Amino acid sequence: MGSVALRNIRKSYGAVEVLHGIDLDIADGEFTVLVGPSGCGKSTLLRSIAGLETISNGEIALDGAVINKLQPKERNIAMVFQNYALYPHMNVAKNMAFSLRLAKQPKDEIDRKVRDAAEILDLAPLLDRYPRQLSGGQRQRVAMGRAIVRDPEVFLFDEPLSNLDAKLRVQMRAEIKELHQRLKTTTIYVTHDQIEAMTMADKIVVMRGGHVEQIGSPLELYDRPASVFVAGFIGSPAMNFLPAAATGGTLVTKSSVSVGKAPAGVDEGRSVIAGFRPEDLRLADSGMPAKVVVVEPTGAETQLMLRMADGDIVFTTRDRISVGPGDTVHLQIEPGKLHCFDAETEAAIRQDAAGQ
Amino acid sequence: MNETPRTLYWLALSLVGLVIAIYILFPIFWLFLASFKTQAELAALPISFWPEAPTLDAYKALFSPTHQKGQLLDWPRLIGNSFFIAISSTILVVFFGTLAGYAFARLHFPGRDLILGGLLISRMFQGAALLLPTYRLMSMIGLQDSPIGLVLLYSAFGLPFATWIIASSLREIPRELEESAMMDGASRLQSMALVVLPLATPALITAAMWHFVGAWSEFAFASILLESNENKTVTIGLASFVELFTLEFQFVGAAATIVALPIMLVFFFGQRYFTRGLLAGAVKG
Repeated sequence: MGSVALRNIRKSYGAVEVLHGIDLDIADGEFTVLVGPSGCGKSTLLRSIAGLETISNGEIALDGAVINKLQPKERNIAMVFQNYALYPHMNVAKNMAFSLRLAKQPKDEIDRKVRDAAEILDLAPLLDRYPRQLSGGQRQRVAMGRAIVRDPEVFLFDEPLSNLDAKLRVQMRAEIKELHQRLKTTTIYVTHDQIEAMTMADKIVVMRGGHVEQIGSPLELYDRPASVFVAGFIGSPAMNFLPAAATGGTLVTKSSVSVGKAPAGVDEGRSVIAGFRPEDLRLADSGMPAKVVVVEPTGAETQLMLRMADGDIVFTTRDRISVGPGDTVHLQIEPGKLHCFDAETEAAIRQDAAGQ
Repeated sequence: MNETPRTLYWLALSLVGLVIAIYILFPIFWLFLASFKTQAELAALPISFWPEAPTLDAYKALFSPTHQKGQLLDWPRLIGNSFFIAISSTILVVFFGTLAGYAFARLHFPGRDLILGGLLISRMFQGAALLLPTYRLMSMIGLQDSPIGLVLLYSAFGLPFATWIIASSLREIPRELEESAMMDGASRLQSMALVVLPLATPALITAAMWHFVGAWSEFAFASILLESNENKTVTIGLASFVELFTLEFQFVGAAATIVALPIMLVFFFGQRYFTRGLLAGAVKG
């Protein structure tokens, strides 16, 4: 069992508060990703759960037992660090056995656990090597092996893939996910990469400036972002935003371009931010006029950077289209795909999304 | 193309280095050779370079009580004193330097960087300026003619720099290694002993070498503090030859060779760690 409950977690460095009261429930076996830009407090939160940071206020509970006063070693939580933190003077087997040796487990027990973990992670032929003799991906696996042998209640990962090249990152991403499906250990994973969050998570926690911005499954966040921030952070290329106002039942931009029908709940004259994803646009004979600036074919789909009077937008399509820079195209937003945010608070105006 | 000028450049540089090395080493080497000569050969003209009939008489004389004739100090005793003082203070300096260095590298406390900088400044004081006050202080606490007094004194002098070396090297060791050890179930002391110190070995050995050599060859404080013959150290022993009415160079040579030996051994065995330490920092993994 390894359910984690965070209640009103606050953390200050001197007068500066970096976590402003975080509440979060993580069920046993769940893969939760904390995601957000650097400085949003996600790593601090993770380190607080690990016990490497003390919290100024609040409560961290593991399976219902409050653990915030416990030392890291008393929490039965394992952590994989961004730079792997392998002990350079120990070989792979010793690195993985370190925690078991500290726990004074019998030698044959230690050997068995290390062998098992090495088997799972394809590390068996490397047990005698030293960290400096391993590739980045292998080091990453040793770091995970060190966590696995302990059979902890919770795994913590602190941006574990950020030191790997792009190709290896994709591969390790799948390996970590597979490992989680196999071990079913509660996992809390910190990243600033929304693709990692989307691909791996059961539950994503989007953080910003020490607050939780939104919690949900990857597709919930994608389909129903609670704020401009989440809408812009999740998804690549990012959602397009245009400032608009409700005029006569439609959303109209400053330069009098009609974006689409004003959703229910948006009063006449109200200033909003209209949001729509690049793939939710389609070419039409009439609609928003935009001038093609750059065409980027990637094969599977083509991405166009377009210039409107109200700002630049991105449009992606799987169709083969024959437009070039300088051409003017007209675009319409797929029905029901228009997101609407309050111009002041940047929060989603919800009634519409439910209605469509 | 520029292969030849470069080779020439290195050749010239090596030549200059060789000349400097010979200039520095020649007197030492001559003294070393002198230790195998007899008094008669040393006095003879023309001066001979290689010993005609190499003999260990000078070494025997230093170590056998029957040869001491009241002129030579008790050399086994001097060597013992020097070893005791140098080793004890090296142990103290490395032990406390490690604890202090760890604190400077890892713990947060007010004025930390100021104090660490202050440690370096303390090295700018000329030792000579401290001779008199130190003598007063040592006689006040009754340690003016005692090897223990010198152990404490050398430790006090050596600790700031050793702390500084060790602190700088501990700062290079990623904090995550210790955090990882703590997550793995280690206490702070365990993580220090099992993870940090093995990685800091080159720095610890460098600090120990540095201090041992300094303590072994210190002369000024030893000469004013130590009065009785049975407490004196090798450096005072070497200097005492000057006061003898006949300058017997074979004894000076033998004694100087013996005194230089530990320092040479320290560097011979320590060098390995020294280079390893340098390499470990150079290759980022």
